[in-house]
Amino acid sequence: MLAAYIHAVATDDPGAEEPAGTRERLKDRFPRGATRRMTQLGLLMGAVLDPLRLTEMDTVVYASEFAESRALEGFLDSFPSASPTLFQTSIHPSAVQQWLIQRQQAVRTFFPMTGGPHLVAQALQVALLADTPRSIFCGGDERGTWLLEAGAASMRTFAFALALSRDPLGAMGEIKLAPSDHASGDLSLQRFFDALQGRESLALSPTAGLWLTLDWR
Amino acid sequence: MALVSPTPSVYLAAYGCLTAFGNASATYAALCNGERALTLQPALGNRGGDAVPLALCRGRALDETAPPNWLPYVQELVTTLPAGDWGSPRRPVFVTSSNFGVGSLYAYRQTRERVHLDYGTPSSCVDWLRRELGWGENVSTFSHACVSAHLGFLQATRALHAGLADEALVFSFDFLSPFVAGGFNALKILNSEFPAPYENRASGSIGLGDGAAYAVLTRERSELQITAQALHNEMHHFTANQADGAGFAACIQQIMPAVGGRRLWAKGHGTGTLEAGRLEVAALEQAFPAAPLVSWKGSLGHTLGSCGAVELAIAAECLKGEYIPGTVGSHAPGFSATVAFDPLPGRAFDGVVCTSNAFGGAHAALLLSHE
Repeated sequence: MLAAYIHAVATDDPGAEEPAGTRERLKDRFPRGATRRMTQLGLLMGAVLDPLRLTEMDTVVYASEFAESRALEGFLDSFPSASPTLFQTSIHPSAVQQWLIQRQQAVRTFFPMTGGPHLVAQALQVALLADTPRSIFCGGDERGTWLLEAGAASMRTFAFALALSRDPLGAMGEIKLAPSDHASGDLSLQRFFDALQGRESLALSPTAGLWLTLDWR
Repeated sequence: MALVSPTPSVYLAAYGCLTAFGNASATYAALCNGERALTLQPALGNRGGDAVPLALCRGRALDETAPPNWLPYVQELVTTLPAGDWGSPRRPVFVTSSNFGVGSLYAYRQTRERVHLDYGTPSSCVDWLRRELGWGENVSTFSHACVSAHLGFLQATRALHAGLADEALVFSFDFLSPFVAGGFNALKILNSEFPAPYENRASGSIGLGDGAAYAVLTRERSELQITAQALHNEMHHFTANQADGAGFAACIQQIMPAVGGRRLWAKGHGTGTLEAGRLEVAALEQAFPAAPLVSWKGSLGHTLGSCGAVELAIAAECLKGEYIPGTVGSHAPGFSATVAFDPLPGRAFDGVVCTSNAFGGAHAALLLSHE
């Protein structure tokens, strides 16, 4: 069984807020002028990672199903005069990089992941197998426009980050992944985000062969 | 999670790759002969654009089709994969890519034909590929631009040593499209010049290539082993490295304790850009002053997220073969005397340090050696 204690959680649920609204809401949390170059998901990832005070020795696991949907739309729209800025911004895992580069915060081990209904289980497994004292499991997506109409972007914008370690002292919760006989299961990134935001306990199969429990203190 | 400890060894039970030259042995032979797969082609395929150096699989067009026209090439590659219930609970698959099927989104944007949408997002592309290849659902996906494959190797190693897997398959692919060729062309580093990695010339440039590869990792002893693995992310700039090369050194230094008395050569990232090339050469020379350095991207092009796996397969061929291909497409003077332009005698060495770099100052390295 893989397990870790939760020491910090941060979430941001902007609802229907457009990127400009997010930029205005969060501008005081970033250096002056920095937000102009950041995507909505980049702003949100920065907002949720900031309180966790990352260090170089943290393992960072970032999960996103669709990642930089708005930048991707913009880059695809820019052809035949392809935009170099939107190209580099559209590449996974730009959202986390935007914030870390702004902070000049090196990270030795960074696992950007993507996937569908089993992404939470897979990313948690990576975070729980990390060889550093602390793992940061973060994730999110941003609502698309024309890619959403095409079914190729998230319907919802959200971001989360949680700090995990083996130290029970001062923990606010615990998360476990245990082997199970379940032949199927799923846990979407959005569902996991809702559980974190509402401090909701979970006990379910997030993918075949595993059982996840999330408990709060 | 524990205190940071050296990455344990893992064995390379099987490997294979696909490049514009064909499979691993064909690619190895072509590189030993100094052949260059890159040719000048329009960056936007049938929509034209600048002529840039691209190396596509034989007979494949850059323009997207539905389903993607690279599927038969992947299917051919996996025929050489050891049979088994890949994607089952004990035999996980770690898929790594930078672009997945994003070329299909470009095709959709250009044509509005919804048939392309089935392959456009990373998850839809991998799920489609998984079903086409007959794999189960235990498929994790990593995407970190050009160090993607190394993440798959590291997580597969951890899963094996945690007792979560009997064997692990790392599968990596990146096939070119107008999306990616247009993007790098917009960054100006993909232009009409052929790349010349580590060559001391006035301007740098890269080429791009199709690539796919697999590695089956196990704890069971076999001829070749991945003795050490390392990652480091500078987070200094999206498209530039720290000027003192500290990011390169921080990654490479993690490998050094595992070297022992091995006689090493180095397979660098070496895309053909000048600044990163100089920094990489300096860092490798400082860490491994006796190790000759080669890059193969002047021939194969940069195979992006698959490059770490493609070049691992070729490096494995080198460790079994008579020669190590030199830095094809480049000529003296190099950035350092350690740069090898011509083939090296394989028997003079018993291990290779393989490095990859990516956007954001991401670095990855591994040591592949005889058991």
